Amino acid sequence: MSSEAQESEISNKITCTDVTCPVCGIACDDIEVELDDVSVVTRNACIMGDAKFKELRSSHRITKPLINGKEAPWSEAVDKAAEFLVNAKRPFFFVGSETTSEAMAIAIEIAEMLGGLVDGNATICHGPTVMAMQDVGQAGCTLGETRNRADLDIYWGANPEDSHPRHLSRHSIFVRGFFTEQGRYGRKVIVVDPRRSTTAEHADLHLQLKPGTDFEVLSAIMTILNGFEPHESFTDVTGISREDIHKAAEMVKDARFGVIWVGLGIASTRGKHYNASMAMRLTQLGNKTGKFVILANRGHCNVTGFNQVLNWSHGFPYAVDFSTGAPRYQPGEYSCVDALRRGEVDALFCMCADLGAHLPKIAVERMCEIPVVSIETAEGPQAFISDVVLPGVLDAMECTGTFYRMDNVPIYARSFCDPPFDFTKSNEDTCTQLRDAIIQKLEAREKAKEEEAQAKPQTTPLSDEEFGQRLDKLVSRAG
Amino acid sequence: MDIILNTGSTAFQGAVIKGGRKFTDDYTQEAAYCDISPEDFEELGKPWFVKVTNSYGDSVILRAKKTDRQQRGEIFIPRGPWANIVVTPVTESTGSPRYKNLVVQIEKGSSPVLGPQELMKKYYTKRARPKWEANRKWTA
Ligand code: SF4
Repeated sequence: MSSEAQESEISNKITCTDVTCPVCGIACDDIEVELDDVSVVTRNACIMGDAKFKELRSSHRITKPLINGKEAPWSEAVDKAAEFLVNAKRPFFFVGSETTSEAMAIAIEIAEMLGGLVDGNATICHGPTVMAMQDVGQAGCTLGETRNRADLDIYWGANPEDSHPRHLSRHSIFVRGFFTEQGRYGRKVIVVDPRRSTTAEHADLHLQLKPGTDFEVLSAIMTILNGFEPHESFTDVTGISREDIHKAAEMVKDARFGVIWVGLGIASTRGKHYNASMAMRLTQLGNKTGKFVILANRGHCNVTGFNQVLNWSHGFPYAVDFSTGAPRYQPGEYSCVDALRRGEVDALFCMCADLGAHLPKIAVERMCEIPVVSIETAEGPQAFISDVVLPGVLDAMECTGTFYRMDNVPIYARSFCDPPFDFTKSNEDTCTQLRDAIIQKLEAREKAKEEEAQAKPQTTPLSDEEFGQRLDKLVSRAG
Repeated sequence: MDIILNTGSTAFQGAVIKGGRKFTDDYTQEAAYCDISPEDFEELGKPWFVKVTNSYGDSVILRAKKTDRQQRGEIFIPRGPWANIVVTPVTESTGSPRYKNLVVQIEKGSSPVLGPQELMKKYYTKRARPKWEANRKWTA
């Protein structure tokens, strides 16, 4: 329990301060929560964070294990889950991001043990950006630095007003930091987005490009910074005027500390990792005239943690296959959507992610065909299509653990209450119990194999003489 | 007509999914609509509902919303099971499907816009019907 938790005797009310929000990538750690037996009141949390904290006292929380949509005892559900995974030839482990790094490490361990595939939310989020990091390299910094130093914020294909509601007020445009005491007045803002998003309304310059021309626009800025003029077809191709692109290049040149915040607008569109690579090259160029960094606006709370954990344990950030016994990395081959689309996955373990609501239809259709085991906190598409649902614990509220913020800074989130059930203490605990059940099943299977081998009558090889006699007999019979 | 589809998150849709209300009408409210530019909205004949179809022939009915946030020739659907019916699974060897910048067809449609549960039953479990009927004694 949090040391700040102050208990009041009257209504079991507790007030907790400096709570970490386990929702989006900026993992705000200044939330205040007032919790009693029936209600939750938060302070500082945004609409999304508040909704998640309200889950502590919600009516649609899954509190009992489900098998085929019906309530079942915990031990039976764990056993059934283990059975599905052990019997599969190509099990897939999808490690979602709404859980702690500790739980992720165990899920990855199970995947390795069973020779399955493992992937995480990065694959449908900033996977291409991660590929670009491997390609070009990322000049990054912490959110503290952007807050205290940045005088130019470029949102490229990002709309934090919607995806990270407190981003602008805590870490970028509006916040007053040590060297940015003027707040909004001391910063310049460029938004690159085909939509006039809510973030674009705060921009000094909105480059409303045609969708899928990010690469061209990035190249054009670099061309100008290098002292040349973009091709004459530039405006026709991208929909951006020459005046605007020059203005953008000028702002990059004038910046003392510029940040490019890349969003999914860059990673999910045509060009994918090439766009992100180009943005990283622009960062390199920006560093010739000032200080420039690039940060990915990672959507989910611990999606960065999955990349960190898998990198640390097996050397690759996502889309890993263990079927040969050694980890192999290949996005597009071992990644979730691709493996499901090809139909080769024959069982799925999905931890703390609603794949049912977020994957393209063809991938979800495959999930409906195979056994699916999920750790879920609330009803929804994922729980709906799962054969076994193990109730999830709300990390950073009901159990402690490590989250990686979107700038790769690990944050240790403390809990302030207990889960509404006693069969598991955390998602890490659930994974550990599942792992143990799987080990038992594997051992039993080995033992059965050995016994079967022993039960078979032992055949001793024939001597040369016996072999000759038998052969003669056969030949004469045939003759 | 052909149009470019972008999908993405909105804070309200985020609040619904983070708050575990994915099987409520709130989800339909916040994720089953399609933002259309005023010009395209006129061209479609001021529809109440639109039908969006991808190159695979998969289609979904959504509420039409006129907004000047969109450029002409582009539509926006919030992230969720409605949008994902038309999102194609081609990942160009990156693992990430085409959630944005996808050419789709749009036309005037007619209601109803399905709720999340009906949508899952109707669109997503079609191929797996035998398994579902066997396991859950479920017919839809
Ligand atoms: S901005 Fe993100 S981390 Fe902060 S309260 Fe909102 S959802 Fe939580």
